[in-house]
Amino acid sequence: MDNDIILDFEHVTKRFPGVVALNDDSFQIRRGEIHGICGENGAGKSTLVKILSGVYPYGTYEGSVTYNGEELKLGQSSIREAVEQGIAIVYQELTLVPTRTVGENVFLGKEPVEHGLINWDKLYADTRDILKKYQLDVDSRAVVNTLGVGKMQMVEIAKALSENAKVLILDEPTSALSKAEVEKLMDILRGLQEHGITCIYISHRLEEFFGITDRVTVMRDGRIITTQPTRDITQADLVKYMVGREMKERFPKGNRKPGEVIFEVEGLEATDPNNSNRKVLDGVSFNVRRGEILGIAGLMGSGRTELVLTLFGEYGKITKGQIRIEGKVVEPKSARQAIDAGLSLVPEDRKRMGLVLIQSILRNISLPNLNQFSKFFRIDANEERQASLQQAKSLTIKASSLDVQALTLSGGNQQKVVISKWLLSKPSVLIMDDPTRGIDVGAKFEIYKLMNELAEKGEAIIMISSEMEEVLGMSDRIMVMCRGHSTTTLPVAEASQERVMALATGLATA
Amino acid sequence: MNPSVTDLKPTSGLASRFFQSIRRNIQTYTLLIAVVIIWTIFYFATGGSYLDPENISNLFRQMSVTSFLSIGMVLVIVTGNIDLSVGKLAGFVSVVCAYLQYYVWYRYFPNQVFLAAALSVICGIAVGLLAGVIQGYIIAYLGLPAFIVTLAGMWLFNGLILLVTQGRTIAAHQAVFSDIAQGYVPPVWGWGIYAIIVLFLIWNMFSNRRGKQKYGFALRPFYMDLLGVILPAVLILAYVFTVNSYKGIPAPVLLLACVAMVMVYVASNTRFGRYAYAIGGNREAARLSGISINGLIFKVFLLMGFLCGVAGVVLASYVGYGTIAAGTGYELDAIAACILGGTSPLGGVGTIPGALIGALIIASLTTGLQMLNVAPAWQYVVKAIILVSAVYADVYFKRNR
Repeated sequence: MDNDIILDFEHVTKRFPGVVALNDDSFQIRRGEIHGICGENGAGKSTLVKILSGVYPYGTYEGSVTYNGEELKLGQSSIREAVEQGIAIVYQELTLVPTRTVGENVFLGKEPVEHGLINWDKLYADTRDILKKYQLDVDSRAVVNTLGVGKMQMVEIAKALSENAKVLILDEPTSALSKAEVEKLMDILRGLQEHGITCIYISHRLEEFFGITDRVTVMRDGRIITTQPTRDITQADLVKYMVGREMKERFPKGNRKPGEVIFEVEGLEATDPNNSNRKVLDGVSFNVRRGEILGIAGLMGSGRTELVLTLFGEYGKITKGQIRIEGKVVEPKSARQAIDAGLSLVPEDRKRMGLVLIQSILRNISLPNLNQFSKFFRIDANEERQASLQQAKSLTIKASSLDVQALTLSGGNQQKVVISKWLLSKPSVLIMDDPTRGIDVGAKFEIYKLMNELAEKGEAIIMISSEMEEVLGMSDRIMVMCRGHSTTTLPVAEASQERVMALATGLATA
Repeated sequence: MNPSVTDLKPTSGLASRFFQSIRRNIQTYTLLIAVVIIWTIFYFATGGSYLDPENISNLFRQMSVTSFLSIGMVLVIVTGNIDLSVGKLAGFVSVVCAYLQYYVWYRYFPNQVFLAAALSVICGIAVGLLAGVIQGYIIAYLGLPAFIVTLAGMWLFNGLILLVTQGRTIAAHQAVFSDIAQGYVPPVWGWGIYAIIVLFLIWNMFSNRRGKQKYGFALRPFYMDLLGVILPAVLILAYVFTVNSYKGIPAPVLLLACVAMVMVYVASNTRFGRYAYAIGGNREAARLSGISINGLIFKVFLLMGFLCGVAGVVLASYVGYGTIAAGTGYELDAIAACILGGTSPLGGVGTIPGALIGALIIASLTTGLQMLNVAPAWQYVVKAIILVSAVYADVYFKRNR
């Protein structure tokens, strides 16, 4: 075994029911390098990390991973094993306890103890040493929630490095950081290299790879496409590798005839509900016509979901711009107002935001529509059941009756319940945020067919999607979002995966 | 492959449908069986006197005050909240009523006992509503945790009780007012009410079937619907027969039955009720479905305040005095009744009939242990063991289903 190789993946395959997340992947990571991994959402990056962290232990995947010359065999139960062997991970979402100090966070779960009591002096001294060694500019006694996101990231790194890490994996660490903070982070990573620590840097912000990484690996659909020295390639190459695949016959052909514009958004700006200084939307403009599917593409963190929640009156405060439905200016301040104005939202996360899982299909479908069935105070249960049943049947929800609890249904059927509930409110515009997330291929196809039928009947649909293929396969036009603003709206004929990806990463402008 | 959604024909046989229906309502049946077991044990332990008409009459009368509270508490807990102030609020209402009865009304209209009682009821309920408005506003619109706000409410009402009574006991056993909780419906009227209930059950069954038929939904087998009429009819018959052989249906029990019926209807057949369960089941989904969470939680506490008002009036009349200890600990009895009756402390799940049976179980235990002259210390120990075992049994069976 070559001593220069710290991690060696050989024919690693990881299967889930219905999906192959990693497909016969082989590549190597050299000792001491900063190795970038890029790929679209769902390309398999996170699966790779989970194998290294022990979330998917040895034996749940095929192939072998050699670490430091020995095969990596992480146990069934303990994620700590990976940490003990020197593999440390900084996750995308911060995992700090916000109300405790930096030192307490760094040593959480491994506090220095003397006679059953925590030795606070040692804890803070050790924290200070770690911070100093890796040139992390944070006060060890500061309470975490008084720090900015950039400093919190440093604390995460300190926490990861506090156990003599040999490999540090950063899983999309820069999503929430400003440009200056990103640069600071890059300095830190270069510093780690001097201490002999190998870094794996996962991101979808392509430009970052060029400032920092030695080599880059591109993943797509669970496969390793290529690994190359960073200085030999360009951003355009990366984009080509990330999306370069054929469109398959996965999308039913529709026969849609878009009509007049029914929904317009113009120059929309909005701020974070928890932090009115942070702009989440910074100039979004688009329109949707009757009988049309408008796809909204954008990477994670581009403001897609924030956009639809703002339109629905349930997220940011609108500071500028206008929303018009059928020519009338609306400014929804709550979901009720948005629904009454003619909007429906199939939300991103059906279990958390779409369904009351412990309630029946019937109760879920009728929930936003009870006004339709109420006379004075009374809900006409028969009217309610008839309308819901009709809707459920037209979407072919598979269940023995409407009284079945929503949590017993499959993902695809659950999504159909959510769609039923929102169709029953007879919306002018149906917004679908990632409508096929987490459902199997067959059910996806059914949802696509359903979207076609609805659009053919004249429904205006806005579809947000993380899957490039889905956006290109289903939309009439595509609006691309990048860092809170809409870059442009392309007719699907002018859109290609490369073009959309270039717009979404900010590499190209319209 | 599952069949598509159909509500048209039962595919399984009649017997299996019968068991399905039992399994669906297993919690209610288990609770009823628990009542039967408790009653049987006390029946033998007391040499039969436990099931005397007089004792049964008192048992239900005794449970009425906490039952009003637990009806409201179900909805409070279902929406994911808690109300610790209900006992002291009901107690405060009861001393306000006693104060008005004893010190105020006779000064202005000395011999108008009926008017005095009516005004006391109105004032008592108004006090409850006002408290509900204030606590509801703070919880729903100012966003403070219900636990803290109602804990403060509990202290506040305790203080107000001491202020109103000045530490004394105030008589509230004036004519008419004392009939509210101590009166009886004459047996003939009792039978009349029973007849009306049975006629209503039958009418309700046929109107349900007609409605379903009109919409083409599958009907349950006729005998099942009939069973749904006969079973409650027999139970109520047994009750009416028993209490009629003493003095008749106690007035507060009749009042409780009316309030319970209205609230059961509200919980399942109005938007208010549906929204409450949806919020408890998944707050985010409810919010995105256009439900105003704050408005609804405000209304729930308003309703809770109203029911505290009713409970307080009944309490004053039942005890016959306004005392400094009025309502002490009732909030915990009400919460325990809900939990025993299958209300989930996590919200989203719970029924009013369940809570009422829970209240009946607690009252049955209390009365029975008192009749056996068990020392108060041991009464608490027994109740503690039963509460925890009952909830554990529930958790256990749910986990193993």
